[in-house]
Amino acid sequence: MDMLDIRNLTIELDMPQGRVRILDRVNLQLKAGEIHSIVGESGSGKSLLAKAIIGVINPAWRVTADRLWWNGQDLLAMDAKARRFVTGRDMAMIFQDPAAYLDPNNTIEQQINEAIPSGDVTGTFLRRRIDRKTRVRQLLHRVGVRDHEKVLKSYPFELSEGIAQKVSIAIAIAHRPKLLIADEPTTAMEPSTRDQIQRLITKLAMSQDMSVLLITQDVASILPATQYLTLLYCGQLMETGKASALLQAPAHPYTQSMIDMSLQSQHELPRKSRLPTLPGAVPTLRHMPIGCRLGPRCPYAQKQCVKAPPAATREQQLFHCHYPLNEPTS
Amino acid sequence: MTSILEVKNLSKSFRGRRDWPWSPKSVALEPTSFTLAAGETLAIMGETGSGKSTLAKLVAGVDNPTSGDIYLNGQKLYDANTKQRCQNIRMIFQDSEKSLNSQRTIGQQLEEPLIFNTRQTAQERQNTVKQTLRKVGLLAEHYEFYPHMLSTGQKQRVAIARAISLEPQIIVADEALVALDPSVRAQIINLMLDLQQDMGISYIFVTHSPQIVKHIADKILILYRGKMITFEKTEHLLNKPQQPYVEQLLHEHL
Ligand SMILES: Nc1ncnc2c1ncn2[C@@H]1O[C@H](COP(=O)(O)OP(=O)(O)OP(=O)(O)O)[C@@H](O)[C@H]1O
Ligand code: SF4
Ligand SMILES: [Mg+2]
Repeated sequence: MDMLDIRNLTIELDMPQGRVRILDRVNLQLKAGEIHSIVGESGSGKSLLAKAIIGVINPAWRVTADRLWWNGQDLLAMDAKARRFVTGRDMAMIFQDPAAYLDPNNTIEQQINEAIPSGDVTGTFLRRRIDRKTRVRQLLHRVGVRDHEKVLKSYPFELSEGIAQKVSIAIAIAHRPKLLIADEPTTAMEPSTRDQIQRLITKLAMSQDMSVLLITQDVASILPATQYLTLLYCGQLMETGKASALLQAPAHPYTQSMIDMSLQSQHELPRKSRLPTLPGAVPTLRHMPIGCRLGPRCPYAQKQCVKAPPAATREQQLFHCHYPLNEPTS
Repeated sequence: MTSILEVKNLSKSFRGRRDWPWSPKSVALEPTSFTLAAGETLAIMGETGSGKSTLAKLVAGVDNPTSGDIYLNGQKLYDANTKQRCQNIRMIFQDSEKSLNSQRTIGQQLEEPLIFNTRQTAQERQNTVKQTLRKVGLLAEHYEFYPHMLSTGQKQRVAIARAISLEPQIIVADEALVALDPSVRAQIINLMLDLQQDMGISYIFVTHSPQIVKHIADKILILYRGKMITFEKTEHLLNKPQQPYVEQLLHEHL
């Protein structure tokens, strides 16, 4: 069963020039324990999608969807209080800059301690204190921090970036969420730290049956274990499906470009040669192209593209494009 | 090739948080020397805390060295002639978010270095800024925008625009590319390569991406705990066996 089931999620914003869609009929399904990576450049709406799922959305924005279901429950039908309860119980989020989300004035021990749900520890006051201490250490151990006594006494600024991210993951998983949303958790990290964090998230997904929604700007930094991949551009869903299928034979020009532009595919180019890229810039909200929003930057665009392309499918992928690539020959 | 930049025995040490004369100094950078020619790119690599940003800041004059000298075009740079340094050596920081003032438009902020360092009229400044915005892949209309109206990637481009608007000889970029979108990153790398080809700009890149280093760097300088352990031409370094530390830095994680 799908834990998360999103159909045609649309977020609109009223601007002086009129109503703009910052998320345009996005679909997403996620099963328990599944890892799904969302890839999109700045302004693609990927963080917004995450915010819509956890329910922190500017009240001035119009959020509509044919379905926004979590674990069989309709999130949009809930009142704010019920929704906060479900989100708080089942979901957790980590960010690109962990230090900014940790409290600078409290030790790591205090902060992890606070994240442990009160229902987890029972008994006398003393019993609870001892249990909490043990839980804190278990959590740190689970995210692969060895030197835990030293880390527990530290304040956030005393931690290296990698350790700080591990601590923020420990806090995020303290209440055993069923969904972890990671918004660019490794973007600015050095490669060896990034690998550690990626392995950790993958391990947690597999061992705790926790679904992971990984948000990133670059196909090179999706989790190696990711099963599904979604590409967003300017709030529109470009292509989604089995990660292996998309990476091998993308149907959408945007997917193809993102693969070409990832640093991994560039190591054979002569030094200082110009790199492949999409021309132009992401349009501003005021000047969203009509139809396929990639149009002005797409090397394959034709007249037809000013009409929004309908969803089309192949065996393991779904995409929106009038002129798809890698057509299967049959 | 004559070098435009010569760095001699540059070092930096910090005292602990309490600056007593007897508290031990920690050395962030041991005496380091290197040279850079016009149109060349130097990459500085090293693990976290190895002193990369310290070295970059000293060269850019954002921070003062404990000892050592820097020569630009054969002329010694003193802290006093900051204007010459400002014009000729520009720095781009990792965190463009913090280096932008939220109260002022992008245009106003990009005009600042022009006001302090050139004699352009208001109209000329506006034109320069708009041209520069287009050069970095933004639109002239972004002139009127405030930082909060831009996405992360767009703010990074503004930072780059600010660095190139004075047409400097050297640009020091501290992890300025990591947080960029792939298309912007490729465009910025291409743009920087173009500027280098056309204007002979030299770059000092602090980065931990081996792919970027291999693609753009002519020379690689490697730091280990504040000490320079390698300073070599990229192709020499890549074509010989390396010690494990260097190997790990240059290894492409796939
Ligand atoms: N508070 C806001 N007011 C107005 N527009 C906003 C606001 N927050 C986001 N937007 C717009 O919504 C769109 C999607 O934003 P979102 O933050 O989801 O992008 P993103 O894909 O996460 O980009 P990035 O890679 O820069 O984080 C963007 O065009 C952005 O300008
Ligand atoms: S619909 Fe047209 S513009 Fe959009 S991706 Fe396909 S070819 Fe390009
Ligand atoms: Mg974001």
